[in-house]
Amino acid sequence: MEDSIAVNEAVAGEEAAAVEAVPKKKEKKPINQAKLQDNLWGWIFCIPLIVGTVWFVYICLVLAFLLSFTNYQVINGGDMFAYIAKMGEHIHPNGAFYWYSYAFNNMTQTQYPMNELGAYLFNTVFYMIGIPIGMILSMFFAVCMSRDIKGGNVFRVLYYLPCVASTISVVYTFKLMFSQQGVMNGILGLKDFDNGGGFQWININGTTDLTWNNLITKNGGTPTSASAFMNDPYWCQGIFTKLVIIIMSVWKGLGGTIILYIAGLSGVNAATKEAAQIDGANGWTIFWKVTMPDLYPVIFYNIVTSVIGGMQIYAEPTLFIGEQYITSGYVSLIQTNGIKAGKSSQGAAYGMILAVIIFVLTMFQFWLDSRNKD
Amino acid sequence: MANAENIVETTPVQQEEEYSSFRYAMGAILAFFGISSKTHRASKKRAKFVGDVFTYIVLLFGTFLMVYPFWWMVAASFADTTDGASATQVIRSIVWWPERSTFDSSFSGKAGGAFWNYYLFFTDGLTVVNGKFTFWRALLNNLLYSIVPVVVGVITSASAAFSFAKINWIGRNAVFYFLLAAIMVPGPSIMTAQYAMYKNLNWQTNGLVLIIPGMFGSIMTAFFIRQFLFGLPTSIIEAAKIDGAGYFRIFCGFILPLAMPAIMAQGLLSFMGCWNNYMGSYIMIPDTSSAVNLPHAIAKMDGYGGGGRYASINYAAVIAGSVICVIPVMILFACFQKLIIGSLMLTGSKE
Repeated sequence: MEDSIAVNEAVAGEEAAAVEAVPKKKEKKPINQAKLQDNLWGWIFCIPLIVGTVWFVYICLVLAFLLSFTNYQVINGGDMFAYIAKMGEHIHPNGAFYWYSYAFNNMTQTQYPMNELGAYLFNTVFYMIGIPIGMILSMFFAVCMSRDIKGGNVFRVLYYLPCVASTISVVYTFKLMFSQQGVMNGILGLKDFDNGGGFQWININGTTDLTWNNLITKNGGTPTSASAFMNDPYWCQGIFTKLVIIIMSVWKGLGGTIILYIAGLSGVNAATKEAAQIDGANGWTIFWKVTMPDLYPVIFYNIVTSVIGGMQIYAEPTLFIGEQYITSGYVSLIQTNGIKAGKSSQGAAYGMILAVIIFVLTMFQFWLDSRNKD
Repeated sequence: MANAENIVETTPVQQEEEYSSFRYAMGAILAFFGISSKTHRASKKRAKFVGDVFTYIVLLFGTFLMVYPFWWMVAASFADTTDGASATQVIRSIVWWPERSTFDSSFSGKAGGAFWNYYLFFTDGLTVVNGKFTFWRALLNNLLYSIVPVVVGVITSASAAFSFAKINWIGRNAVFYFLLAAIMVPGPSIMTAQYAMYKNLNWQTNGLVLIIPGMFGSIMTAFFIRQFLFGLPTSIIEAAKIDGAGYFRIFCGFILPLAMPAIMAQGLLSFMGCWNNYMGSYIMIPDTSSAVNLPHAIAKMDGYGGGGRYASINYAAVIAGSVICVIPVMILFACFQKLIIGSLMLTGSKE
């Protein structure tokens, strides 16, 4: 009994102490007025960005995710928010995952019976050939520019010009430069001066086999080179159009990468370089053994961003030759189905697949990176 | 082995004679061009000079490749395509300057003079295609779409960056990473939901879709300005606080002026992005609306990507439009190139 009383007293004492402590904390509150101000103003300054991001990215992401299980049509589907609110009633009649299975099973309705998603994805990946080409070229130019020469800054600015130009202007210029009577055919000797013909770069409906003779010879006055494409396989349909698009993308993106690399090169440790030089290493060895390891973070950043950007290629193929399964990138699938044809839910399903693909690709690159460091 | 070493040591002169006269001459020539070989050692000065010459040749060739399409664009915008039969021929066969240009005497009496294609572009460019409005409207739209969201958006981004960098509040890092995670969401994958939402809100035919979302700022802009603000001393803010300035006052009076280089650079970059935003307009704004922006309007003149087929007769006007579309960003870039490239370099060295 005595023990328990003692315990009770002890507890009571503790409680009393606690009660005493609380007013003390409350007394401190006025001093924390500054902290309150911090919290208040911190939130106030952030609120526009938070609202914008949540509204235009996160809510739209959730809406797109939900839409992909329904059969919402934007043209006559009515209010989307009301539609989503009654999500339970509006699951797609053929099953919630109808659009996903459709995406993986739908065949192109053309002479090449192949998976539509696969065709568009193939084009997207094909355009990524430009990434390594651009990286090597821009590395070369960056090394040239970071030499101790006069006027290096002028070159930097001139090489960045295509990056600031609008895609549309550049595309129309390239389209005309690569036309039958264009400059490019003149340089490459594919221009038919007599008949006003020449090799057709921007063409997707070629029927001639791809041989050098077909490119250059003329058949009774008219050049057969008008459309030299292999007839049968899908993958080389419109391959020259794709080539022009790759050339244009590399040309347009070179400046930005060069500037990234110049920044990286200026951060390379000069002392290590000098030490290597004294040890008798030549320029080539120094570049591979000293400069490249230091540049690795920049190169990795560049690869990650350009793969993410490359997966979203859209404007260039569209402006060059329109949207079809031979040249268009994956985003065209979303645009034509989800927006032009008005089947929002189908477009949303395609979009979710794209998001997963990009996420997996990025994670894969980071995994490679982490493995490389060990 | 010892024997062999002895021979080598005692006959250094013979070793030089081992080279054939051809090899010796080649070595001399290589050394003249700054490349050391076994027979001759080139001077460092010569090596540097030759390397510089080589670098200049490569870089000048690259510059030519970078600038030539722009020159081509300007040349094509002065092509005389009034004669329908040879119009395509004239514009396509341009190498340096069109065979028949608008600087010819026949254009001196016409409305636009030598700038006939530009005149066409501005007066009846889209009226021919759409029968609705001229390109002045598209140009004004483009200015509106690129100035309003960028100015407001950069300020909201800067305020968020200030809050993330200099104010201590509960959950700051959590909110920051929550917002930063948004860049992982690819734009096209939420495009359809955005389209449906904007249609519900009725923002499409009046062009609000290209104004309002931009006004909330962007997390990438905020991220870069935040990086810049970390470099500013906190003592300035504390001194201002002691003097009785509120946070709003600090933001307007100290942070905005001090972070102006970063804010300007980010603002200019996003201005260029908005000015060239073909995809946003093409996807979100209907072709028939008069709220389309300039790139979209130019695309409408061409066959693909737009509506009509104005191209077959007067493609020179389309190219004139392209020049108009490029010039403002080029001028901006020329004026602020140091700022913009400096900011981009900072991005490169940070990551």
